Amino acid sequence: MVLIINTTSNSNMSEILKGLLNQKKTDFDVIDTADMNISHCMGCGHCWLKNPGTCVINDDYAGIMQKIITADQLWVISDTALGFLNHKGKNVFDRILPILCIYLEFRGDQMRHILRYDKRTDIGIIYQGEANRNYLQQWLDRCTDNLDSKSLGAYPVAELKEAAKCMH
Amino acid sequence: MHALIINGSPRVKQFSNTDKILEKFTAGLRECGCSVEVYEISVRNDWEKIREAFKENDNIIIALPLYVECVPGLLMEFLEGLAPKDENTRLSFILQSGFAEGAQLRCGENYLRLLAGQLGCKYGGTLVKGDNFGIRFAEGKERDKITEPYRKMGQIFAQNGDFFSDECRKFTGPEIFPLPLRLFLKLLFKTVQRKNFQKVATKWGCTKPLDYKPYKEK
Ligand SMILES: Cc1cc2nc3c(=O)[nH]c(=O)nc-3n(C[C@H](O)[C@H](O)[C@H](O)COP(=O)(O)O)c2cc1C
Repeated sequence: MVLIINTTSNSNMSEILKGLLNQKKTDFDVIDTADMNISHCMGCGHCWLKNPGTCVINDDYAGIMQKIITADQLWVISDTALGFLNHKGKNVFDRILPILCIYLEFRGDQMRHILRYDKRTDIGIIYQGEANRNYLQQWLDRCTDNLDSKSLGAYPVAELKEAAKCMH
Repeated sequence: MHALIINGSPRVKQFSNTDKILEKFTAGLRECGCSVEVYEISVRNDWEKIREAFKENDNIIIALPLYVECVPGLLMEFLEGLAPKDENTRLSFILQSGFAEGAQLRCGENYLRLLAGQLGCKYGGTLVKGDNFGIRFAEGKERDKITEPYRKMGQIFAQNGDFFSDECRKFTGPEIFPLPLRLFLKLLFKTVQRKNFQKVATKWGCTKPLDYKPYKEK
């Protein structure tokens, strides 16, 4: 399943992607979060040490987490700020923390957290606005290393169709 | 010299590792005659005040925990509301993280270099160090052992006004741990460390195994 989380208020992008993926008969799920309530991570640590795997913040991210752990691909659509994803896009990544356990291991030559679930979800980014694409790619590589998955790349909105080609 | 210091951690001050690091770092600054004002972005009610201080000051340090390889979402939200400045302002960073090897923080550091430019400021370098996850769980001498080295870094910043010196660069420690150490840590992770985490969890009232799966995998 391809999970698309659109954190921008541009629902047009969601519609275009739905059209393209329907054509390809891809199994997908699009979530528009513009009208949802998704907080930042406050780093309380409860998802690691008090109620393992569950975020204390009771907002719309809980439903998203359930979908992430069964998705083959996750695409985050985000506005940009200061050359990077804006806070709404970044919050989607920060809140993914409960997918990892506190336990550590070495993967390759660096420390990583052990994944809580069996599924490995590859991740791509579609960004709307000015950003440093090289940096986003580098950053996404690191993020997906942490999640033991693969980067699908960072695409500006102008390349929405190219991104859609990688969705399967 | 006067320095404006912003703690960019979303965690409340009492539990923030960055805060404990800043305690020592600012002590070092003061010992060398530098005056400081410190704010926390975890207090949203202070954001206007902090943005005003950002506008007024020309020597600014943002201290932050690495969050998913970059700036925490809450800090990002704060930064989005800043008015850009000019080259007369020097913006430096203290980047700290959970993972211990220097290589873990380079992606975050790369962004901070970009960020200084995005905010129109002159970049004053980033003091990079990991292995700080445990500060919150340590007390007294054990905590001091982790945080005390930041005092020296405060003294150096008071002298140089940036983090570009060799001493600051070396402060990071090894980029990657040598193989024998990795093998030793691997063993530690599977044994002592697991027990220690479980002990803390029990203290926190946790009744489930730490690798518990609350969501159905289908
Ligand atoms: C959501 C989240 C993401 C994190 N991501 C990383 C990371 O990518 N790499 C790392 O080494 N540590 C990471 N950490 C650990 C923190 O950087 C570390 O615990 C830090 O000392 C917290 O400082 P604070 O208490 O001032 O917030 C993360 C912590 C949280 C809560």
